[in-house]
Amino acid sequence: MFEKRLERMGVMTDRGKATAYGIFSLSLLLILWICATSLFQWIEPRVLPSPTRVIGQFAWILTEPFSGLRLPGHILSSLERWGWGVLTAGLIGIPVGVFFAWNPWFRTFVNPVFELIHFIPPFAYIPLAVLWFGASTATQAMVVFVAAFPSIVINSQLGVAQVEKIYIDAARVFGASQFRTLWRVVLPAAAPSIYTGLRIAISNGWMALVGAELVVGKVGLGFMIAQGQENASVATIFVGIITIGCLGVLIDTLVQRTERFVLPWRKVAS
Amino acid sequence: MEHSAGKMATGTTDPAPEAPAKLELRNISKWFGSVGEGVHAVDDCSIEVKKGEFIVVVGPSGCGKSTLMTVGAGLEEPTHGEVLVDGKPAGPPGPTRSVVFQKFALFPSETVEQNIKFGLQMTGVSAAEQEARLAEQLKIMGLEQFRKSYPSELSGGMQQRVAIARALVMQPEILLMDEPFGALDAQTRTILQEEVQRLHREKHYTVLFITHSVEEAVYLGDRVVVMTRRPGRIKRVIDLPRDVAWKTGDIELAAEHPEFIEFRREIWGLVREEIVSI
Repeated sequence: MFEKRLERMGVMTDRGKATAYGIFSLSLLLILWICATSLFQWIEPRVLPSPTRVIGQFAWILTEPFSGLRLPGHILSSLERWGWGVLTAGLIGIPVGVFFAWNPWFRTFVNPVFELIHFIPPFAYIPLAVLWFGASTATQAMVVFVAAFPSIVINSQLGVAQVEKIYIDAARVFGASQFRTLWRVVLPAAAPSIYTGLRIAISNGWMALVGAELVVGKVGLGFMIAQGQENASVATIFVGIITIGCLGVLIDTLVQRTERFVLPWRKVAS
Repeated sequence: MEHSAGKMATGTTDPAPEAPAKLELRNISKWFGSVGEGVHAVDDCSIEVKKGEFIVVVGPSGCGKSTLMTVGAGLEEPTHGEVLVDGKPAGPPGPTRSVVFQKFALFPSETVEQNIKFGLQMTGVSAAEQEARLAEQLKIMGLEQFRKSYPSELSGGMQQRVAIARALVMQPEILLMDEPFGALDAQTRTILQEEVQRLHREKHYTVLFITHSVEEAVYLGDRVVVMTRRPGRIKRVIDLPRDVAWKTGDIELAAEHPEFIEFRREIWGLVREEIVSI
């Protein structure tokens, strides 16, 4: 029935359908929220603030500094730390993953260390990061790095390992050196997997960042939430949580969009 | 180059017998895994391909004929024996020996023209020369309108044309083809068989061609090498008539010629023995 209506509205494309369902489920959540708070007061305001209350707080933090910065300021400092962490994880993780797969000796040698590291939760590094970098951007960036690094390495390695031998044979037959085979044949073939790794790293990093900011720092979205708790302002916490969620979705969507430009030959294959 | 053109009959009597073969596989044995325990793919195979000759290796599937090709191309080291080009050890793979693979092996992230130019770029051919040779191959293989397409946008037949163009653009001294038409539908295969036949007639490429199709072997080959089942040995070498009318025409006409039928029966008989006795 719902689909029929969508059809009439002319959004029967798969993409349009997905969007419509998305809007529908989010609206449902919002309605439930309104019912539970403003409309029927099932839940106390100090436990769950009403949407109007949260929107009011949102507008307020947008214009008035909260714990030193307005909301955009907190967002920007979070994004900065996250950006540095993910960037370094990518710059180091992609080559490491590629050489993992390309060079068996390197893999045997480094893998045990890597296996160990990858089971340590990123938050366990927070005290270490504080000791090393103090309360600077680098502290949270390091936590982001630790959270982002393994998925980049693992997926880059998988991507390279899964490149069919026949492509490497073909490159050799046509006179390509090891390096050029890697650069021109193996890396493009591994790129979709590397890309997946980056996407996972980006969201893992984002989550770790907020965690790190809860514990250490004087700015950022995580810090803002922690301050909400300090000031017993549930609305502030909600503003923080919703902003974090929306930014996460936004970043992931943007990254997904770039795939088309970075991997143009994939649009046909998929 | 001309020596094979004017000759009739067997081809065993070469006008210059002292000249070393263009490509020679000498006493090739190949084990995968350790000798005695692993898979014995090929056992003591010797094949000579003279300049301008089209040699077809035919045998039941799994007989190690593809292994022979990868060894011939230098992609695998033989366990015993050696590969010679012009009488000298062939060494690592390189542009003198171009390969057309069964599964095309076109680089998926590169367009048709990038794929064709790949080997030229790797071997330092000048940009102007690259363009000239690319244009020539696109024309020969009828790929001009697809030059900007990615392999995934092309049919299997078109992809294999690109793969052949990529091999020929290197102006290789030796062309190795590993069941190049095995993955194609029957109609496309026929068209490409005729094109390869025509190319060989016009340009006298030196070809080592692997197939499991007896028809293909009889139609294309100057000489057919029949292999036994694994471990692959050479069962028989059969010289086919060269430059006879039926070999230069369409394959379905050739298939009706009594001579073709006789050779097909003979070769198929040999291959069948290997399959039945499994």
